[in-house]
Amino acid sequence: MSQAFLEVKELTKKFGGLTAVNDVSFSMERHQIIGLIGPNGAGKTTLLRLMTGILKPDTGSVRFMGQEMAGKKTWDIVNKGMVSTFQNMRPFRRLPIIANVMVACLCPRALKRGEWVKKIEAKAMDALEFAGISDMAKENASVLSQGDLKRLEVARAIATEPELLLLDEPFGGLSPAETDLMAKSIKRLHKGGRFGRLHSEGPAMIIVEHKLQWLMMIATRIIVLSFGTVIADGPPEEIIKNPTVVEAYLGQGGN
Amino acid sequence: MKLILFYLRKLFAVLKNEVLVLPSRVAVIIFFLFILLLPLFTDDLYVLRVFTLASIFAIFAASWDLLSGFTGQLNFGHALFFGVGAYSAALINLHWQLAPWLSIPLGALIGVAAGLIVGIPALRLKGTYLALTTLAFPIIVTGLVFTFPDFTGGELGISGIQKLAPTRIHEYYIISILMLGLCTIMWKITDSNTGIIFHAIREDEIAVRASGVNTTRYKLLAFCLSGFFAGIAGGLYAHFMRIAGPSVLEISLSFMVVIWAMFGGAATIYGPIGAVFFLYPLVEFMHVIQDYRTLMFAFVVLLVLLFMPDGLFRWLREKIETECPRCKVRNIATRDTCRICTAPLD
Repeated sequence: MSQAFLEVKELTKKFGGLTAVNDVSFSMERHQIIGLIGPNGAGKTTLLRLMTGILKPDTGSVRFMGQEMAGKKTWDIVNKGMVSTFQNMRPFRRLPIIANVMVACLCPRALKRGEWVKKIEAKAMDALEFAGISDMAKENASVLSQGDLKRLEVARAIATEPELLLLDEPFGGLSPAETDLMAKSIKRLHKGGRFGRLHSEGPAMIIVEHKLQWLMMIATRIIVLSFGTVIADGPPEEIIKNPTVVEAYLGQGGN
Repeated sequence: MKLILFYLRKLFAVLKNEVLVLPSRVAVIIFFLFILLLPLFTDDLYVLRVFTLASIFAIFAASWDLLSGFTGQLNFGHALFFGVGAYSAALINLHWQLAPWLSIPLGALIGVAAGLIVGIPALRLKGTYLALTTLAFPIIVTGLVFTFPDFTGGELGISGIQKLAPTRIHEYYIISILMLGLCTIMWKITDSNTGIIFHAIREDEIAVRASGVNTTRYKLLAFCLSGFFAGIAGGLYAHFMRIAGPSVLEISLSFMVVIWAMFGGAATIYGPIGAVFFLYPLVEFMHVIQDYRTLMFAFVVLLVLLFMPDGLFRWLREKIETECPRCKVRNIATRDTCRICTAPLD
């Protein structure tokens, strides 16, 4: 029996009277890059946090590679291969940048995988090199700029050798040039050929982003959330023409 | 003969190129030598007793630093581990007639169990709430001690414990060498990959979880390690003083260890040890001005914390060493260029 790579079913989360994520269902394949968009407060970040176990869903299920993930501990989910970055970056500010990534390299999944002859430091260095901040490896994380912090988040996430990478606003606060670079690295990562698993494909991805121009370049499928529900789901070309999506973003009568 | 010469030359090379270039490493060597050679210069029993007690409290302070300084789990009831270690070692020695070299490790293992008991509420609590909860534990155990006076000796405590060693010099050497060894082990733990995770948990626990590390396990590990080392310190104290009374569970001891660690510099291991060896003898030798002793102690501590908020020894280290801006290797402050990469130092 072939199972869906990721299957989210009827996921609901309420904060008091507010339903942040309401009955969201979708499934994805191993090769996809999904763009998750929606107006502010639509529940995109909440959905990612429900999937990675930082928040517990009220009802619904998340099946990842045939295993139930809803209600599991965050570290168990990461060790199964689903890892997310934080929208507001959370580096360990008083630790060197390389130590930030070494923490991720020390998780059981990363210890089992990758080039096992390499030391933890070397593995962490690989992730930093990929993200493009290896030259600052020994500086404290507090010296990093906004863009470099985003890179550190990505480096820390890929150091756990994920199958599914959930990126929460990877382009947020970046200049157009930096965004271009980041978009390219994300594409390169998806193609694989890096990070230990040299002959395998890169991780599948779900990207939450507001910069649609760049998102359309990398995503193969877009899911639109509004007030916690999925209002559109399809390839990027269809989504930009979809009247419901335009209405959710711009309001009614906005022709 | 040639082989011995080879290794000797290698040893001198390491000493010359790695140790003597950095004043902090020289200071550590001098400290080791001072501890080991002290009985040669003085046979005053009082001085030896002060430094023996300082050694015991140094283990205790370093164990607090391992838990609260590194992992950030603020523990205001650290005397619990010390007291549990002391009482367990005393009871085991008294009732089962086990020698100190058995009763102290067994007491330390009971300290580990105490660490688990305190650690489990710590998994759900943070910051001040955790501090208040931990503060309650030694008070609860003191209550238990007073409730079962037949077993624990009540207010008088347990006396008649076997001496650690026949003479004061023997006791001094056993305790000080144990102190040097245990503190080196603690420093090694914090310098390892486990230490990096401890640091990261203090910085941002959620981010550590999101990196796939089981923080529950590491926090409990920190509590157990801390309980183990503090338990050893407690057992040594019981066998050295030959009494285990309610004073080993006192709140003042819990706060004293916090003061020592903050004074020397938290999250360094060497800081609390240095602070104990600075403050404890200072307070003891100030008995000539008995009435003003506590006042002087408070004055010194406040002065240091006011002008050196990161701790005395970290401040000193920053003064005598500079970090190379390029390769991040530490250099003595008098150098103009980095000793490794020859980059100019500011």
